[in-house]
Amino acid sequence: MLELLWLIPAFPLAGFVALTLVGSRLSRPEVAYVGAGSVGLSAVVTLLVGLSFMAAPPAGGSFVQTLWVWVDVAGFRPAFAFHLDALSLTMIFVVTFVGFLIHLYSVEYMMEEEEGYSRFFAYMNLFVCAMLTLLLADNLMLLLLGWEGVGLCSYLLIGFFYKDEANSQAASKAFIVTRVGDTAMLMALFLLFAELGTLDIQALLERAGQQFQPGSGMATAVALLLLGGAVGKSAQLPLQTWLPDAMAGPTPVSALIHAATMVTAGVYLIARTHVLFTLAPAVLTLVAVIGTLTLLMAGFAALVQSDIKRVLAYSTISQIGYMFLALGVGAWSAALFHFMIHAFFKALLFLGAGAVIMSLHHEQDMYRMGGLRRQMPFTFWCFLIGSGALAAVPVVTAGFYSKDLIIWNAYNSEIGGVWLWAGALAGALLTSVYTFRMVFLTFYREATEWVRHLMPIHEPGPCVRIPLGVLAVLSVAAGVIELPHTMGSLTLFSGFLNTALPEYHGVHASYGTELLFELLAAAASLGGIWLVWTLVMASPGSMERIAAQPWARGLERLWFSGWGFDALYDALFVKPWLWCAKVNKDDFIDFFYRAVAFITETLHFVASMTQTGAVRWYATGIAVGAVVTVGLVIIL
Amino acid sequence: MNPFSALTPIVLLGLTPLVLMLVISFHRSHRLAVVISLVGMALPLALLAGTATSAAPPLAPLLIIDGYALFYIGLLSTATMVVVVLSYGFLERVPGNREEFYLLLTLATFGCAVLTASNHFISFFLGLEILSVSLYGLVAYLRTTRTALESGIKYLILAAASAAFLLFGMALIYADLGTMDFTAMTSVLAAKTREPSVLLLGGFGMVIIGAGFKLAVVPFHMWAPDVYQGAPTPVTAYLTTVSKGAMVALLLRYGQYGGLLDYDSVASVLAVIAVLSMFLGNLLALLQDNLKRLLAYSSIAHLGYLLVAVIAASREGSHAVTFYLVAYFITSLGIFGIITALSDERKEADEISDYRGLFWRRPWVSGALSLMLFSLAGIPLTAGFVGKFYVLTAGVLSDLWALVILLVVSSVIGLYYYLRIIITMYLSAPEDPSSPLSATRRFSLPEGLVLAGLTVLLIWFGIYPAPLLSAIQAAVGSLA
Amino acid sequence: MLTEALTTSALLFVIGTFGVLVRRNAIIMFLCIELQLNAVNLALVAFSRYVGVEGQVFVFFVMTVAAAEAAVGLAIIISIFRHYRTVNVDNFNLLKW
Repeated sequence: MLELLWLIPAFPLAGFVALTLVGSRLSRPEVAYVGAGSVGLSAVVTLLVGLSFMAAPPAGGSFVQTLWVWVDVAGFRPAFAFHLDALSLTMIFVVTFVGFLIHLYSVEYMMEEEEGYSRFFAYMNLFVCAMLTLLLADNLMLLLLGWEGVGLCSYLLIGFFYKDEANSQAASKAFIVTRVGDTAMLMALFLLFAELGTLDIQALLERAGQQFQPGSGMATAVALLLLGGAVGKSAQLPLQTWLPDAMAGPTPVSALIHAATMVTAGVYLIARTHVLFTLAPAVLTLVAVIGTLTLLMAGFAALVQSDIKRVLAYSTISQIGYMFLALGVGAWSAALFHFMIHAFFKALLFLGAGAVIMSLHHEQDMYRMGGLRRQMPFTFWCFLIGSGALAAVPVVTAGFYSKDLIIWNAYNSEIGGVWLWAGALAGALLTSVYTFRMVFLTFYREATEWVRHLMPIHEPGPCVRIPLGVLAVLSVAAGVIELPHTMGSLTLFSGFLNTALPEYHGVHASYGTELLFELLAAAASLGGIWLVWTLVMASPGSMERIAAQPWARGLERLWFSGWGFDALYDALFVKPWLWCAKVNKDDFIDFFYRAVAFITETLHFVASMTQTGAVRWYATGIAVGAVVTVGLVIIL
Repeated sequence: MNPFSALTPIVLLGLTPLVLMLVISFHRSHRLAVVISLVGMALPLALLAGTATSAAPPLAPLLIIDGYALFYIGLLSTATMVVVVLSYGFLERVPGNREEFYLLLTLATFGCAVLTASNHFISFFLGLEILSVSLYGLVAYLRTTRTALESGIKYLILAAASAAFLLFGMALIYADLGTMDFTAMTSVLAAKTREPSVLLLGGFGMVIIGAGFKLAVVPFHMWAPDVYQGAPTPVTAYLTTVSKGAMVALLLRYGQYGGLLDYDSVASVLAVIAVLSMFLGNLLALLQDNLKRLLAYSSIAHLGYLLVAVIAASREGSHAVTFYLVAYFITSLGIFGIITALSDERKEADEISDYRGLFWRRPWVSGALSLMLFSLAGIPLTAGFVGKFYVLTAGVLSDLWALVILLVVSSVIGLYYYLRIIITMYLSAPEDPSSPLSATRRFSLPEGLVLAGLTVLLIWFGIYPAPLLSAIQAAVGSLA
Repeated sequence: MLTEALTTSALLFVIGTFGVLVRRNAIIMFLCIELQLNAVNLALVAFSRYVGVEGQVFVFFVMTVAAAEAAVGLAIIISIFRHYRTVNVDNFNLLKW
């Protein structure tokens, strides 16, 4: 069964090729069958491969399938090889399975668009293929191919409605900002190859362990550069600014790429190269700090957004911050656990938001929604479950188990401590506040004029409802595979992942402390919901009264703009750069390049002069060339 | 086993023009001529599969049929088949007799096959002249158009003159070494201890002139753009691929046996030629508006790149040369194929401006053409990249750093004009709907299949070069 | 003896080369190329007196090839004459730059 591994990325690739070549001639249902079917097939194969992997784990906990060697020169032999272990299996399971549900959803969601149906599915399939390549790559070269591939697809899909210039701007922004991180990552690759002489991940990690001293400059440099790539892709501080704007893409894109899969590539990269990070403890601490700061920053920003998709975007940044925090404190499997659960409930939330947006004729402003609870009960219940999971409502939702694990580990690890824990806990409170603010604004309250104008509002069709339902079930049930000590201590997930990642060891694991901390986390979650209920529902208008205060207005503007990072970068990089460019319009550097172009063109014209078209001139050329050649051969 | 049975591929290639000649004298049919040429080219290919494993039998003194020769014969006859398919559509549009075209084409390929298998100056010269004389006829085939006649006479005079130089070089080498047999040369050279004589070096210099002319490297390149532009497009495709490929094959073999590359002075001169070709070729192509001329210039540059690997003279060098050549064959045939297939009775599609907005009318064609141009420019995941990568590696392994750096620099210049063509294709279509080339000609099925096949191969060898590479390693391994 | 033969043939070869360069008439240019080839033939025959029979055999091949080349070459030149009414090569420069 494991030999089928190569089929997993091959199916979406085939779908992409088919849709590109003949997509314009297929009818919409045919496109849907190809587009969603290819990902469905690869989900089935993933299931088969995963089952046989778990039934009979291969020796060493990993299975390597080398398809072929691309080029083989002087020790540089990047291969098209796939590496399957617990880590990549978990990731590809989520990507194919959630990916398939989102494709299914898109079949109906994209039906409203007048054009680009097959283009959409072609890009989506290409994305899934690139993402799977990234996850399964056995060497950093192939990983880079997937990494750039998902970046490209992200760009194409954010700018999918390219006729609106703002969307193209958002796409360019995402591409350029992540490019900053990609450059750092590329430098890490060069450095690693120069130092260790290989790009095969396993060999590389082994050699790094032997050659790099813990805490040495080289290990720190490499880890820092890799972290640069990870924060770019995963929209963490300081490169988070692109993700809220990336919501310009169609909602299924936001669900698949900018919530469930691609943005977690940074988490995967750090987990995959964990040896390098363990060798650089300072950088690992930095990962935890970045995660904590990001989750707080994004949590505040999400509080005041009015666009439902932007709330979810900031919430994604914030949740990935949790994953970074977990990675930073060495709780590798906790990060992956939260990744998986997050993929379920965040995809659910995006898809639910998409269903709402679709029903309201592309209205995304939550203040113009309201009262949808009665109009769209199915969507409402699914969305509520997703929100519960995001807000980590205790015991009943999966989000509680995954997030609680991180909060507890933030305290209970060697690197962690009270500060990280406090940040994570505050973040949990923020999460439940902004989440239920969104729920109440959208589904409760009186129906707004706009909503009444659109009534009766219909529930979406089956292609939308099935993914919502499945994801809702998973958002509740998936938590039970990993239970804390206080609740029966089930470690199916971490036990499985520990075959690929180092085991986590807590420091002060006393039963009582853990229980206390869990209660605090539960209190934060429920307290947030209570708070927002009082503000929004119990006494309507109280929020407006607070917002009217001068200090609150400033704060709101700051948070609304995502802490003003865009303005900051604009003032810090873009404006000075443009200013430099303007001032130096005719500077020496420009002169140099213009001179290069001028000289090249002049040389072209001079060279063209020799092509006179006269055969005797050509013969003279040959004769002179002959004399010179023979002369040189004899003299030299 | 009869040692002559090894000769079967070459004999079959030689029989094809004879059969064609007989058939034409009894019954003129364009289709029949095409079928006979295709079969004539395909039969040796089919046989190659059987004979490739057998050891090279001694067919003293003229020819040596080893795996190396068989590989190149296979490559060249496959390329000829592509040219035949392209020629059919082309010749359907022009007046006059068509069948003799294939006679000349198959004859030229026979000459090429002799070149790749030659082990002696006599077979070298014979093969070269069979190729050249057929090409004179092919280049001037459209004998009522001025440009074709002009390029014909240019090619005729310059090629004949340069062949005379080559012949003189052979005579000098013969005078010094006392033999014309490559294998015998190896032992004579090995026995030599003193400094090389002026005769030998002068002979090498003149051989370089003869080979350099066929490869169109600076300073023997000036004929190329004119002949490329004036010749029928399928013939241009042939000139740029098969004719050059055969010469490269011979150069590698002679370099291995005849000691051409063992002398520093020869290597330095080749290095100078390589650098001049890279830069002059790319510079000349920079603002060229005629696509066929542009490709002639680009071809000069590409042969310059190729020479870097030839100079490397290592096993890796020979592999790199052959891989680069295969990639170059695929790409060039593809581009000239598209030019041929887009042209119609009124206009040949050889101006860059004809391609303006092509993407919006013919997305597939312009997609394929873009891929081909990317491959020429050496963008990753195309065969051209892998070829260039191996050439660079061969250079680096032989410590030819200066050449490698100059190669990279001149490639950057090259990128400019390849991208210029690509950008033109994606611009909005010209306002004037009655532009000379509306590119409405549908491709015939064989044309479409051949072009699609070339495109697939281009990507295939760019992503999965291993099988081609192992075939090349086996083939080149049988050399020496 | 070898030196004399080599000098003669080299001289003839250079004369042929110069003929190609300075003459304008295509037929004369072609004749000059034949002169080059025959210069080489002379050298080959002379060398083969010292080193073996191969050179003399080669000469026959060269003559045959020269004949074939002349046939095709003259055919092209005749076509050109029909079209242009001249065989002055300086008139043929449509293709340039």
